[in-house]
Amino acid sequence: MEDKSKRYDRQIRIWGEHGQTQLENTQVCLLNCGPTGNETLKNLVLGGIASFTAVDAATVEPADLGTNFMLDADNLGQTKAKCVCGHLKELNESVNGSFVDEKPETLIESNPSFFTSFTLIIATQMGEASLLKLDELCRQSNIPLIIARSYGLMGYLRVCSDELCVVETKPDNKVEDLRLGAPWPELEKYVMEFDMNSLDDKTYKHVPWAIILMQAARKWKDEHGGNLPSSYKERNELKAQIRSIRRSLDEENFDEALSNAHWIWALPTIGSEVRTVLESPKTEVHSSSSDFWVLAAALKNFYAATGDMPLEGSVPDMTSTTEFYLEIQRLYREKADADIAAVTVQLKETLNEIGRPSDAISPEDIKVFCKNARNLQVVWNTKFSEECEGSAAVGAELTRLMGLEDSSANAALYVLLRAADRFNATHGRFPGFFDSELDEDASRLKAVAMQILADQGVANVSVPDDLVAEMCRFGAAELHCVAAIMGGAAAQEAIKIITRQFVPLDSPLIFNAMSSNTTLIKI
Amino acid sequence: MIKLFSVKFYCYCADKCVFLYAYDRDALLTLQEKQKEDAAVANGTAKAKQSPGELRLQKDISELNLARTTSIRFPNGKDKLLQFEVSISPDEGYHKGGSFVFSFDVSPSYPHEAPKVKCMTKVYHPNIDLDGNVCLNILREDWKPVLSINSIIYGLQFLFMDPNPDDPLNRDAADVLQKDPRTFAANVRRSMQGGVVGGVHFPSCI
Amino acid sequence: MKRVAPPGVERSRWRDLDRLLLRSGNLVGPGFEPGEEVKEILHDMLHVLVIGAGGLGCELLKDLALTGFKKIDVIDMDTIDVSNLNRQFLFRMKDVGKSKATVAAERVMQRVHGVSVTPHFCRIEDKPPEFYQAFHIIVLGLDSVEARSWINGVVCGFLEYEDDGSVKQETIKPMVDGGTEGFKGHSRVIIPSVTPCFQCTMWLFPPQTKFPLCTLAETPRSAAHCIEWAHLIQWGQVRGAEVFDADVPEHMKWIYEQAVARAELFNIPGVTLQHTQGVVKNIIPAIPSTNAIVAASCALETLKMATMCSTGMSNYMMYMGAAGIYTHTVAYEKDPECIVCSAGVPVAIEESTTLEELMQQLCAQFPEKLATPSVSFQGCNLYMRGIFEEETRPNLAKRIIDLMEGATSGVLIVNDKKLHGPLRIQLSINAAQAMQT
Repeated sequence: MEDKSKRYDRQIRIWGEHGQTQLENTQVCLLNCGPTGNETLKNLVLGGIASFTAVDAATVEPADLGTNFMLDADNLGQTKAKCVCGHLKELNESVNGSFVDEKPETLIESNPSFFTSFTLIIATQMGEASLLKLDELCRQSNIPLIIARSYGLMGYLRVCSDELCVVETKPDNKVEDLRLGAPWPELEKYVMEFDMNSLDDKTYKHVPWAIILMQAARKWKDEHGGNLPSSYKERNELKAQIRSIRRSLDEENFDEALSNAHWIWALPTIGSEVRTVLESPKTEVHSSSSDFWVLAAALKNFYAATGDMPLEGSVPDMTSTTEFYLEIQRLYREKADADIAAVTVQLKETLNEIGRPSDAISPEDIKVFCKNARNLQVVWNTKFSEECEGSAAVGAELTRLMGLEDSSANAALYVLLRAADRFNATHGRFPGFFDSELDEDASRLKAVAMQILADQGVANVSVPDDLVAEMCRFGAAELHCVAAIMGGAAAQEAIKIITRQFVPLDSPLIFNAMSSNTTLIKI
Repeated sequence: MIKLFSVKFYCYCADKCVFLYAYDRDALLTLQEKQKEDAAVANGTAKAKQSPGELRLQKDISELNLARTTSIRFPNGKDKLLQFEVSISPDEGYHKGGSFVFSFDVSPSYPHEAPKVKCMTKVYHPNIDLDGNVCLNILREDWKPVLSINSIIYGLQFLFMDPNPDDPLNRDAADVLQKDPRTFAANVRRSMQGGVVGGVHFPSCI
Repeated sequence: MKRVAPPGVERSRWRDLDRLLLRSGNLVGPGFEPGEEVKEILHDMLHVLVIGAGGLGCELLKDLALTGFKKIDVIDMDTIDVSNLNRQFLFRMKDVGKSKATVAAERVMQRVHGVSVTPHFCRIEDKPPEFYQAFHIIVLGLDSVEARSWINGVVCGFLEYEDDGSVKQETIKPMVDGGTEGFKGHSRVIIPSVTPCFQCTMWLFPPQTKFPLCTLAETPRSAAHCIEWAHLIQWGQVRGAEVFDADVPEHMKWIYEQAVARAELFNIPGVTLQHTQGVVKNIIPAIPSTNAIVAASCALETLKMATMCSTGMSNYMMYMGAAGIYTHTVAYEKDPECIVCSAGVPVAIEESTTLEELMQQLCAQFPEKLATPSVSFQGCNLYMRGIFEEETRPNLAKRIIDLMEGATSGVLIVNDKKLHGPLRIQLSINAAQAMQT
């Protein structure tokens, strides 16, 4: 056990023990054991998932040894899935591995129930037709699906799931929720009773800037009919008032107060992501609603009642005596706890209404939900069929991307990858398979790509010949480095989905290994 | 006969490409042989490479503007600048008459990182603790690469001119200074003469 | 031990890579010639060095071996720790305590036949510049500014210049660098004298947060303050003579216990052993997937550099995977006055020129830059104003060629109050006289 926390120390620092527990309960199914699939799985096995099942019908051939690190010369002629499974298991003795010696395409047709026992499906190097069925299948069983593809010097990655509800989005630039301009009664009382003038110089230097600002804001409101400064001029006046009560120039707390003064009027807003959650029809909950939506319904009620989100309750470090800081910290924490209690009351009512036990959701989950209320996000990924079968949205997005200098090449690669798949469906081989037919394949591939563009309603643009020629040159090669990049990205997405932390992709992604950049196809 | 061909390395710098290597095969093979020889010959014989820290220190040190009360000593000579000692003998303030030695330990990535400075002389001072830790903002949280050794020496001199009891490292000294500057002055004198203050013995530094 | 490929496998093994190497393309590097020759260069001639066999290093070794590089060296001074196993996939529990470089080399050779990986279990500083000189490309899997800065100095030090001041192209040693933190990472290509070196873009590395000592001593407010107090103040006070070593478990436990006691005294929550280790060792969280992305991007650029089989990265790529996936590629620019990689100003002197004459010549040549110069050569201060003036004054009358121990060219570092940073002078000594005498 101790070894386990040591082993996973560097990642637990990112997603916590609870994220690690989610990972350790995950059963992953990998379709196709080429380098793209193995690299994805490798990263997840190292992270400590519960188990994996590798599906592939191929036998190991010499070309695998040039791209696949989970195979070696001794494996030649053996079942690929079996060999890969063996090597992957070596990476982490606590992970169970098994393999199925079948073609994923066949399995999708013949045994769809096979897929329902997994937490997550990762489909690699697969064509449109099977993926369409697999996406339907996974959505029916509510199992997230990740599609990853490496093709020469490009890659494609996509998440398929009706909705992914994230509580701990962990944004990089979080706005502190301090309510300086409108403190709640307990905080207001503390701040008003805080007598700065009577303090000796040393203590005066250690008054937290939050208190300085709240006193200044209160005074301003008293003198301006209850309003906060609204213009640039008024804001400067308020800052001048703060400056005027300095006793000396070496008071760092006053420097900090002045540089944080904008928190008085820059109130944390309720972002569009959270608004989308609160306004979603899914907040009309019923007995089979997920915990997330039940909590969101309670949050919605809380918001309707109070006009605000629950307080997060953390206070940034600031120059202060220990005593003042801990006191402020306590006030914020108590308010946060009170908000959690209020949400809990709402939640119990909601649970009652939908016929679930009132303790169905754990206090810890309620707490985490409330603390992250401002940053909640639900990620929706459209059905794979909408992407493939021609829709106005796809056409509009492709038109937009192909018109932009930064993204036109990657949008063309996206179209060409789909064209290559159709080429394969028609000819039984990918373009550029034979050295002798490179030029002919280029013309054929371009024709297919233009047809796809036409089907999507994209007019007056063409795919550049250079890129068409490169796609043929690639000949569907699965290069190890490109596979490792796509596998790394797929594993990151898998971890985000499994731990329900950070924000998963909401649209297909194209990776261009020639220019080392990426483009999202927003549909 | 060995067929000759070239190995080319290029790189991209905006739109321009730059031709880097043009070895022929023989040259490549020769290089490999040479590597074996070099590995055999070279045993730390090569000239030490100068770190960015040393390069920058050359500038700082050649431009040092030392007050009469300050001196600097490089125990390892003029070509090893990363460790040195600065001695400050204040001619005003509570510590007038004493002499205080600070050790500077400069990292090879200076000025990306601030030098590590410690006071080697046991001193009775609110901002220097008995282990020689110095509380000076530019040594830690406010360090910027534009600052220099000169700035730090100014900072240290300033600590002796204007000890700050509000943010102490030696709280006993700070309390005394705040409540009773005359006792503080007496304590400083006693400590500098090699006496005992608050149960702590201070070696003489006059 | 290097393993030999089974007969007949070698040709077909590189099928996927051969699509790029044997076929001509439109979006390729300048001068790319597909064919057997470029393959031979990649497989049999190029020699690459991987610095670091940690999170990035393990991935890099795998990626380079499966990209067709067959002569690889790896250098790392570290031994394997349990906390490495979540991402350094070449290591197993039974390897804990062994050399990272040695085990990593062995595992890669076991798996990928035909590749030879030579480990070096030592500090990078233990190897002379000649060691680094022998590689064609150096790939960095490092996690510290210090190590990057050191190798950067070595590699930029290889640069030599023609008489006209242009760089001798065969002295350019390309580097590829990667770094990660959590879900974020970067890869970059450094071609000394062409693209920015580490020193040019030192500002990319954020400074470490440092708390004021008086806060730690007097007004601690967080668990981190209590931990740093135990580490920076209390250790010295109680265990003064002992050098603190974060890798000694007893030392770490002591810091933790002191921090807990301090936190209890002030009623501050949150001191845990994990947090203590994080603060004291400045641990950067790390996961395998990010390392995989960054290392593969580095290996891919190494392949492009070696074969020109595709267009290259220009010259820095940032990967951010925490919110969706976002990448950002930037062509950073060189600092024209970089103290490490800039060419410096070419100056020619006669063999008879003394240091004093050179300084006069420089002041006349750059009146707006120099008035009271100090001069050094390869770490030796030839003439220095300030406290070493008297000691170095005798050098003024000496000939430069003697001060440079007979070298007829080299880089002099000149400092002056008028300059923001050191000025590099690319000196060449006209040896015509020497031939006549």
